[in-house]
Formats: sequence, C-alpha cells, structure tokens
Amino acid sequence: MSSLACPFCGPRELDEFLFHKTLPEAQGDEYAVYERANRIDDSLEHWQHVRGCRAWLRVRRNPSTGEVREVQLLGRGHS
Amino acid sequence: MRSVRPRTTGVRPRATGVRPRVGTRLQSEPVRFWFDGREYTGQRGDTAASALLAQGVRLLGRSVKYRRPRGLLAAGPEEPNALLTEGTPPTVIPNVPAPQLILRDGLVLRSQNRWPSLRYDLASLLQAGGGFFGAGFYYKTFIWPSWRSYENIIRKLAGLGAAPGAANLMPPSIEHLSCDVLIGGAGPAGLAAALAAARAGARVVICEREPAVGGELEFEGATIDGQGAAHWIGAVKAELAQRGSRLLMDTAIVGGSDGLVIAHREPGGLAGCNTVYRIRPHRFVIAMGAVERPIAFVDNDRPGVMLLGAAERLLARYGVVAGERPLLFGNHDRLYAAAARLGAAGIQVRATVDSRPEAAAASGGAAAAARAELSRAGVECLFGHAVVAAEGGIVLRGARVAPLVSPASIRRFDCDAILVSGGWSPAVHAGLHEQGARRYTDDAAAFVADRQPEWRLTAGAASGLLDLAGVMADGFAAGDRAARACGATGSAGRPPVASGDGNPRLIPFWRSPASLNQEKRQFVDFQNDVTVADLRQALAEGFIDIEHIKRYTTLGVGTEQGRTGSILGAAIVAELRGLSLARVGASRTRPPYHPVTLAALAGHRVGAKLRPVRRTPLHHWHAANGGVPESSEYWMRTRFYRANGADAFSAGIAEAARVRAHGGILDASTLGKIEVVGRDAAKYLDRLYLAKASTIKVGRGKYMVNLREDGMVLDDGIVLRIDEDRYLATTGSGHAEHMLSHFEYYRDTEWSGANVALINVTEAWSVIVAAGPASRGVLQTVLGKPWYTGLDRLSHMAFVDGRWQERELRVLRASFSGELAFELHCRSDIALPLLQALADAGLPPYGLEALDILRLEKGYLAGSELNGQTTPLDLGMDGLLKLANPCVGRTLLDRPALHEPLRPRLVGLRAVDRKASIQGGAQITAANSPSQSLGHVTAGVYSPTLGEWIALALVARSFAAEGTLLVARDPLRGGDTRVRVTAPVHFDPAGERMKS
Repeated sequence: MSSLACPFCGPRELDEFLFHKTLPEAQGDEYAVYERANRIDDSLEHWQHVRGCRAWLRVRRNPSTGEVREVQLLGRGHS
Repeated sequence: MRSVRPRTTGVRPRATGVRPRVGTRLQSEPVRFWFDGREYTGQRGDTAASALLAQGVRLLGRSVKYRRPRGLLAAGPEEPNALLTEGTPPTVIPNVPAPQLILRDGLVLRSQNRWPSLRYDLASLLQAGGGFFGAGFYYKTFIWPSWRSYENIIRKLAGLGAAPGAANLMPPSIEHLSCDVLIGGAGPAGLAAALAAARAGARVVICEREPAVGGELEFEGATIDGQGAAHWIGAVKAELAQRGSRLLMDTAIVGGSDGLVIAHREPGGLAGCNTVYRIRPHRFVIAMGAVERPIAFVDNDRPGVMLLGAAERLLARYGVVAGERPLLFGNHDRLYAAAARLGAAGIQVRATVDSRPEAAAASGGAAAAARAELSRAGVECLFGHAVVAAEGGIVLRGARVAPLVSPASIRRFDCDAILVSGGWSPAVHAGLHEQGARRYTDDAAAFVADRQPEWRLTAGAASGLLDLAGVMADGFAAGDRAARACGATGSAGRPPVASGDGNPRLIPFWRSPASLNQEKRQFVDFQNDVTVADLRQALAEGFIDIEHIKRYTTLGVGTEQGRTGSILGAAIVAELRGLSLARVGASRTRPPYHPVTLAALAGHRVGAKLRPVRRTPLHHWHAANGGVPESSEYWMRTRFYRANGADAFSAGIAEAARVRAHGGILDASTLGKIEVVGRDAAKYLDRLYLAKASTIKVGRGKYMVNLREDGMVLDDGIVLRIDEDRYLATTGSGHAEHMLSHFEYYRDTEWSGANVALINVTEAWSVIVAAGPASRGVLQTVLGKPWYTGLDRLSHMAFVDGRWQERELRVLRASFSGELAFELHCRSDIALPLLQALADAGLPPYGLEALDILRLEKGYLAGSELNGQTTPLDLGMDGLLKLANPCVGRTLLDRPALHEPLRPRLVGLRAVDRKASIQGGAQITAANSPSQSLGHVTAGVYSPTLGEWIALALVARSFAAEGTLLVARDPLRGGDTRVRVTAPVHFDPAGERMKS
C-alpha cells in the first residue's frame, strides 16, 4: 500500500500520512494498552493526513496484502 | 556479398586481427578511449564491448575466484564477465558491464580482477590448486592459526571491482509519473501492446532499457504488416508519439511494490545523470522479453564463447563480427536462421551443432529453408551432437564435438568463436518482486509468470511465447485488455501481422556429457565461477534446496544476479537429483533487477533537502555575536557564546553565573505554540491537560502537563488564557507538530463536534527571554514609558499585550531559569531590533548550555525527564494529581503497574565528595549490589551557584528517600561517584527570586 485515498484530497502518496494506532479488539476497554492481536485479516487504524488537509481517517486495510478496503473520515459526527 | 568498411586510422592494429565492420548503422564519428592503459578508437554510438571487439580485443576480464581469462558473453546488462572500471582512482565507477557502457571521448577504462595485468595474472596460478576453491571453501579453509592471518590477502583478492574513494557524479533526479498503461519493454510484444493501448485511447508510458527500440526485431529480419521491421518500428514510434504516449529510453524496470513501479534511467550506462522514475500505473504490461542462457560444457567460459543472440546483436547494431569462423551450438531451430543471417554478412559458419534429434527440427518453413541453404553452402549441420569442450586459453582455437549417444568419439572443429544458445529465460522479475508467482512450462522449457495481481499482465516471452507472430499477437491483446481495464473505449484496430523466426521447437539441453573431473570446468555461473562440480558437491553435502544451493555455491549472487546462470544451475541440480525442474524451482528474485546506486534512489533527498535546517529569525545575530550553533529537535539553536569560554562547559558555567548575578537574554523562538480558539476551548483543554485550563483567568498563564493515553507524560508547557474563548498552549521546542496532531485527534474522535479551532503558530511568534535581577529594569528602558507601570505591576505568570515600535508585543512573566524573567513574544520583524536593544542596554546573551544549568538548579523538567516513560507520579507532580481532573490518560494512570515500588521517582543528587562529577546517563545502583540498576541520572551539571556538581535522576521509588546513599556508575566514561539523594530543587526552593 503506497497510497491512501483521503476523502477530501483524493488518492495521495503514503508519506503524506501519519499512522497513529491500530484500534484494539474490544473498543472502550481501558486495559487494551496491554493487549494486541496481530491478525492477518483486516485491521482498523487511525491515520492523519498531516501533509495535506490534516483530516483524521479511519482506515480498514489488510496488513498481509496491504490492500486498503475502506477509508472514512473521523470527526464531526463520524466515529 | 561482403561489404567492407575500412577502419579509421590512428590505431595500432593488433596481431589477432582487427576485423572490419559489416553494415553498421553507427555514425562514423570517431571516439577515443583508453582500455588498460592503451588508446583505442571506436565510433559514436559504440559500447566499450563493441569497440574493443572491433579492435580485436577479446580478453576483457578475469573471473572472480579462479582468475580465468574471460571475454564477452552477452550483449546486455546480464553480462557476467566483461565488467570494467571507469575513471581514474579514487574517482572510479566499478563493475560497469562493457556492453552497456556507451563510449564518450576520453573515457578511461580498466579491466578488473587481475594483477599485474589482464594477460599475465599472478593469481591465476592458483588455478593449479584445482578443487581448492570449491563450493563453500571459505567455511573449510583459512582457519589455522586464525582467520585474521589470511584476511588481508583475501580482501585484496576477493570481490569484483574496487570501491571508489571519491565520487564526482551529478545529483540524480526523481520523477513521479502516473499513467493508465505502463509497458515494460519496447520489443515486439511491448510495441504491439503500446500500439493497442494508445489506439484505444489510454495514456501510455513505455520503458525500454536499451538505447534503441525493437528488441530482437533488431536482427531478426522480420516482416511486419508487409514492411521490414526497421520501417515498421519507425512508423510505430511516430504513431505513439503522435498519440501522446511517452517512451522512456535507457530506462530499466528495477522493482516496485504496492502498485508502484520503479524504473531507473542510466543513459550511457554510467552512473552520473541518473533518473529514478516512480510510476504509478493503472495497469502494467510486462513485456521484457527473455534472457538467453548458455549450455555448460568443458571450458565454456573461454573468451570467444558467446551467446548466439549477443553475436547477432553485435553484428546488427554495431556491425561487429564476433568470430569470422564461428561454430553454432544450441537446442532449437533459431540456430539455422541465425547461421543464415551470419552467412549473409559474410561470416563463414563452421558448423551447427544441435543437441536435438533431426526429427525434432522443423521440416518445413523458414528454418528448414535455412538449413537447406546451409547445406548447399557446405556448412555441416549436426544433430544429436553437443560441444563437449572448448579448446584454447586466452584465444579460442577450436571446439570438440561428440554425438550424445557416444560421447567418447570426439571430432575436432577449428573455430574462433562458439556461439551458444540453450534457450531463453523470460524476464519476469517485475512480476515476481511482490505478489506474483512463476511456473515452469515445458513448451518453452522456462519459468513463466504465473498468478499476478489484477494490475499486472504479461505479454510475449513473459507468457512463454517464443515465435514472433505469437508474441506480437499476445502483446497486442495484452495492451488492448490493459487499456479497456483503464476505461479506454477507442478501437485498437487489427493487430499487426508478423512473420519472422517461427517457433524454435526447443528441447531442453543443459550440459554436455563430461567425466566427474571435467565437471570442474563446466561453468554454470560465470560471474561467480560456479561449476557443475560445485553443484554436485553442494548436493553431496546436504544442501538440496535450491535456495541453500544458491547461497552455498554463490550461484546467482553478484551484479548479474543469476540472469544467465540461475535457471541453468537449477536445471542441472534437477538432473543431478533426478527431479523435474518444476519441482526444484528457481531461487527467488528480488529488486533491484539491475544495480542501482543508493544515490539514485535517494535522488535529491540528501543533506539539507532531506532534513531542512530550521533557523530562528535571530540566527544571524547569534552567529555574528560568537554563538556556537547546535542542532536541537530540527532547529539550529545556540549552545554557548565564544566570548564566555573556550568550550561549552566553561562558557555555560560563566553564562549561567552571570544570569543569576545580573541577567541575560535567550532566543526561545523555537518554543511550540498552538492557539486553541472556540466556544468549547476551555472545556476542551480541561480534558487534555492534567490540571484544569478553564480556571485560568484571562491575562494569566499556568504551567500545565498533558498525558498520553497510557498515562505517561507527553509534554509540558505554559498555557495562556488570552480571552474567554482563546488560549495559547505552548509545547516543548520541536513538539508542536506532534502536539497539534494529538489535539486534533481528540477533537476529531472522542469529542467530535467540539467547537474548537487549533492553529499552529510556532513560527508566527519570535520569543526572547530576558532573565535575571536586572531584567525588569532593562526591559523598562528598552520598551519605554508606556510599559513602565505595566511591567512593575506584572505578577508572576501573568502577561500583558501591548505594542513596541508599532508592532504587537506580548510580555509574559514566567521563568525557566528560576530568576525574575520575562518572555517577550513578538513578530519576527521586530525580533532582531528588540534583541539588539536588550543587548545594548546591558543584557548579554546566554545559550542552551547555561539554560540547562539554570533549570537543573531549580529542578525543572526537560526532555531528559519527560522521556515518554515517566508518569506524573514518577515526576513528583502529586499536587496536580490530587485535582483528579478526568483528562486523557487519567484512567490508565491508575493501573497497578504504574504504582509499583520499583517505579522511578524524580530525585536530586549531590556527590558525597564535593569535587566529584555526576554525568547524565550514569546508572544508579546501591553501594552493595553494583550490578542491579535502580535508575539513571537524567542530567548532571556543574552548578556555579552551589559550587559543586548537581544532578537530577530517576531512581526506584523504594530507594528514593532523601539522604539515601547510592552510587552513580559510569563505566564508559570511567568512574563511579558516590551520591546522596536530595530534593529535586537544589536552589531557592521557595522560588523567591523569580517572584520578586
């Protein structure tokens, strides 16, 4: 995966984005900081388009193939 | 009929015969160059290989292990033997394949791997040792008394060329492209694909590694759509240009991943004006043809043994005759077409040796016609025979040929070249570097591309097709498919109709029969001197997987990466193991497919263009006033000023002492600043900082700390409340970007809908700190009457906005030094005059070294304590924690792990012996258990105020009681210091000086 499609800016090279974290399995679990499940199928991640519109994005991608399945905007009512 | 072009003069003809060129397409402009100290002349457009061969120079290098004399094998970058060094030491470029190196006037070239000369090499006498250097010899030899005794000699003998000591290359460039259809290769398949895609309306980019377009059409003598190949190529180029397709010449596809294809352009074959293309195509058609492979027979590495296609290309493009009386050896019908072509150029083919039975050859068609003509011309066409050995050393004298049914009955042929072709290995590397597979197909006796991701297709030889008509049709279809997938809707028209060399009807033949002893001289990988005997030995020693064999024998390592030898080696291994080649497989191919310099990949992103230097608006003032710069968190800041001491240590002490005694000014413009504005700004900041921001009164600031999600301290700084709905949050220098992302994250996720705007204003405001007992007085003098009373009344942690010289100025009374101090925030255009005015009025500058001393004396925190692994509890911020403000990180701060007795605690340290030093980084241990670390010293300085060394440290809580005696161990810098735990604040704990 060398590009991400930002909902505002369109497909952009990966180095415009900053990876923040992979969302833990159980949402809202406070102690998730200790748990990590490395799954070979889809992972949900938060990325920011730092060298562009600075939007926060929720990205669903397959870490084994690098294929990006879905990119959504976070914030302003999205979750 | 022979057409002879006389050679240009000025060159001493060599005894072995300068051969006149035949029908060259090159211009006749002479180019002078040097090879191994002797001057030669070539023609404009010649490569080093073609020019030297034309001059009769056949010996072009020596092999890496056995130092056997070698000549040219191939006519492309897969050349394993003729690697030359260009230039004069130390500015050299090693390992340039001679057939890729296009001549320029004055080039200085040298052969490699030989001493004292190419013809007389001392190390070749090592050959007499025979099997000493077999597979894996370096694991079994050079052991006693120790490897080091041999290291020097081995370093001199090992390797290909010598590394350069200096470089004189133009910086390479990087170009980013995107297109609909990328076509790798402009041979028949590639051109057909480009035509189809361009006609359909797609945006097409074609990469061709050679300086000429056409691939094998260059010499095949084909007819396409009723025209000669050259004519057709010209028409296609014109049509492609007219349709807006882009043709990149001298550009090879070297790798890529995830939808990105990397191509490398190296015009002239020398690193220098390289361009790296990063191409993002919608569809990628792999049409890069196939690489011819040799056959293993005894002494098949002699100068004069060459690949058939290489000889044909040399003749067609450069008019160079590789051998006047060659013997052709192979396992397919192309032998005959090639023989006929060579004959037409006046070359007397001695014989053709075909390993197949006669029945396997085509009985009709162009190949049969060629055979008939050869018979008429008296050329013997042998079937079921093989060349078992080459005769000769530096000069090839003949070939020994025997029937496969009775290899002992040897016939000798006089010849000056053996042109070998064992078939072709499709160049499918671009389909293998990621997410692709290959499979062995018997039809082509080759590995072709198998499963490919949707965006990549293969065409031509990559799909296993070897006849021209099939290749062109396949290419056209692939181009059409690719264009449709991109949404192009134009009509591609009819595919070109081609007739040339038909299906070669290849039957695999990998090595001629030989005795076990003779196998030591049957070469499989020329570049690494890997023979059939080595493969057999590796198998005998238990290395049976092809990947293990590759590494143990070094088959396919080196610059050539097994392009001519890998598949041959795998096939021989399969024969030796009694398995099919499909089962044995071939070793994995990885990018880059061709050697690419690191400089080319980096492009312009080196030095300042990789990490831009950031300077404050006051940078030049510091330089002009003796400031010694230091790079700190992307910024250039001043460490100390030369007038105050010879080095950082003494200058820092002097500057710090002066600030306490009198005063000083510091450039703090790098301080991170983020404006937080909006109806919800106060509430929002409450959630992000440990203490509440909503309780800060307008016109005041508060020292605040914020946490990471997991409870660790992230950053600290003063937050100013400028208005009801407007705050300025300061962060550590260089942290602003990170903190902005942190703030934006929570606004956009957890608290989406919060009415808050976040703006990074770090670079909008310059900051000058005026500190010391004299600071207020000097400020009043400089800022003038309007500021007098304001400054008098300004209380600690309050700020006032006003103007100076018609520009905005904010004065915040805050201190990081522990003295009475003011932070002046202003626009950059008055920063310089303000700083100069303060200096003129009696406040000298101080730098980061002094700042560290001052802050340490006060126990204030910096990056060495806020290292991302400390919690507020560790750092002694108990007061802030009692507020129990529910902020980011608060919950996880309560987890048990962060309250264990071995968690660090921030303490101060003093040396038991007042003269001893305490260095940052020293490990803290108890006196009686010297190997268990209880923490470390975060920072240690000599304090002029206290007259001794002081430090801050993070020590395990249960050992952190004041008065505890511990040891600071510093084995690397020599010395242990006995220390006593104290409070972190070493000086003026009540803060009276800064609140005065």
